[in-house]
Amino acid sequence: MLKYFAKRIVYLVPTVFLVTVMVFLMIHLIPGDPAALMLGEDATQEEVKVLRHALGLDKPLPVQYAIWLSSIFKGDFGASVHTKRPVAQSIMERFPVTLTLTTLAMVISLLLAIPSGILAAYFHATRKDYLFMGATILGVSVPGFWLGLVLLLFLSVNLGWFPSTGFVSMGEDLWEGLRYMLLPALSLGLYMAAVVARMIRSSMLEVLRLEYVTHARAKGLREWTVITKHALKNAFAPALTTIGLQFGALLGGAVVTETVFSLPGLGKYIVVSIYMRDYPVVQGSILFLAIVYVLINLVVDLLYGYFDPRIEYS
Amino acid sequence: MFLRRLLKNKMGLIGAGVILANILVALLAPYIATHDPLKIDITNQGALPSEENLFGTDEYGRDIFSRVIYGTRISLYISVLSVLVAATLGIILGSTAGYYGGWADNLIMRVVDAIMSFPAILLAIGIMAVLGGHIYNVVLALGFVYIPWFARVVRGSVLSIKEKEYIEASLAMGGNDLTVLFRHILPNCMAPVIVQATAALAYAILAESALSFLGLGAPPPAPSWGNILSDARNFMLDNALMTIFPGVAITLAVLGFNLLGDALRDLLDPRLK
Repeated sequence: MLKYFAKRIVYLVPTVFLVTVMVFLMIHLIPGDPAALMLGEDATQEEVKVLRHALGLDKPLPVQYAIWLSSIFKGDFGASVHTKRPVAQSIMERFPVTLTLTTLAMVISLLLAIPSGILAAYFHATRKDYLFMGATILGVSVPGFWLGLVLLLFLSVNLGWFPSTGFVSMGEDLWEGLRYMLLPALSLGLYMAAVVARMIRSSMLEVLRLEYVTHARAKGLREWTVITKHALKNAFAPALTTIGLQFGALLGGAVVTETVFSLPGLGKYIVVSIYMRDYPVVQGSILFLAIVYVLINLVVDLLYGYFDPRIEYS
Repeated sequence: MFLRRLLKNKMGLIGAGVILANILVALLAPYIATHDPLKIDITNQGALPSEENLFGTDEYGRDIFSRVIYGTRISLYISVLSVLVAATLGIILGSTAGYYGGWADNLIMRVVDAIMSFPAILLAIGIMAVLGGHIYNVVLALGFVYIPWFARVVRGSVLSIKEKEYIEASLAMGGNDLTVLFRHILPNCMAPVIVQATAALAYAILAESALSFLGLGAPPPAPSWGNILSDARNFMLDNALMTIFPGVAITLAVLGFNLLGDALRDLLDPRLK
């Protein structure tokens, strides 16, 4: 197990290296002089030169990369061009909001997906199953940000059930914070709910065909017991990979959701920084989210072994 | 034979119908739209739906119905082109990796892994942030982000087909790598590629609308669905309906590709089910 863990991490090194190269090169893809672009039209030649130097843009590319990477390793993600604040500090302030949003979205989507996926497999090829399939395909077709807008409009603005402006974090006041988070999390999580529900249903159907399930049935166990006690654990393993991959979709989707609901998270910060052409912030935040995503998938791979002990740790 | 099976799949048929309707709307946009989608009319701002303006007008007095109709054009254009870019690059990279193996395989697949290490929409946002809002930049950004979808399935198919005896026979008869690859291997990889392309089109429509909603897609005043929704957001207290129509248009288009994609997958590639 430990050996597998070590191997899995070693395997990550080249991928993460390439991720850093891609994020680093981002700023060099900007047509023209990034420093001049960031400062806007009013900047003097001198100011541009100072910023170019501060960002290290006047050094050869490999040198720039080496300097950039070594500061990343020290936890230094650069500083905002406009506020001069360290990017790492701003990320740490805002990421908790994004993490709360994505985690809540995941909880909501699993609460919807797991029971409905199991029920659909139980009612396989009946009208209930078809209804389920129809609902999930609609779920993967509705744009989450639009759903968010519509929920905001009808439930918050028109009916006043949820706050439509401002923000309270769940850390400060759990219930009040939840009122701010519920609609964003729901609109963000619906897509994942549909994807995971379909996955659970199909892997459930696959497991239900296996011999050990037939054996359990032959013992005279009720179908429901067979499904929940015997089949679910095995059917869950493939769904777990999907959940891990979908968490990335949540992290990306959060950028749009936070903008719709004006949540002070990392996603909204990225969008605002793009508008202000604050590229060090955009660069640092995107790298941070990519690393979070890579780590989550690492954890998922390791959890996979728990749900499916047949996996070889060699 | 294949077509008959597809015609029997009701959901796939509905999907194909929706897509066809979208294509027709995109092609015939000038004839269907009742107004110029860009024409500003300050005497008719924020009008509610009426016979004159079927979906009402936006804060600049532009006709929303006509904008949504033209939006079909932008959305399909960008998503089809970006999927073509992704498929072309993915096929080239995936077949090189699968056919030659060794260091080429390693290098290509690590790059593909790196692309997949980013949440897709986040990577597209990052690329758009540096390239700037333009239709072809959206095509590039989405085309890049979806490369792994194609590279991975093509590599997988090439690996399995490469071992077949007729490939060996063809090489023994003096066929060179390129002929073997193009004549014998790639045509047999097309089934999963078509399945992936249909699914990718659904994603691309969603991603394009999200990008332009954030102001990182086709620049305003282009009537992309995301732009219309972004305008609607500032205005939705006055005209809630304005938020509804573009969203329904996006959902329908995506639904069409998802329905067809599911049907094709069941028919062409049962393993992916």
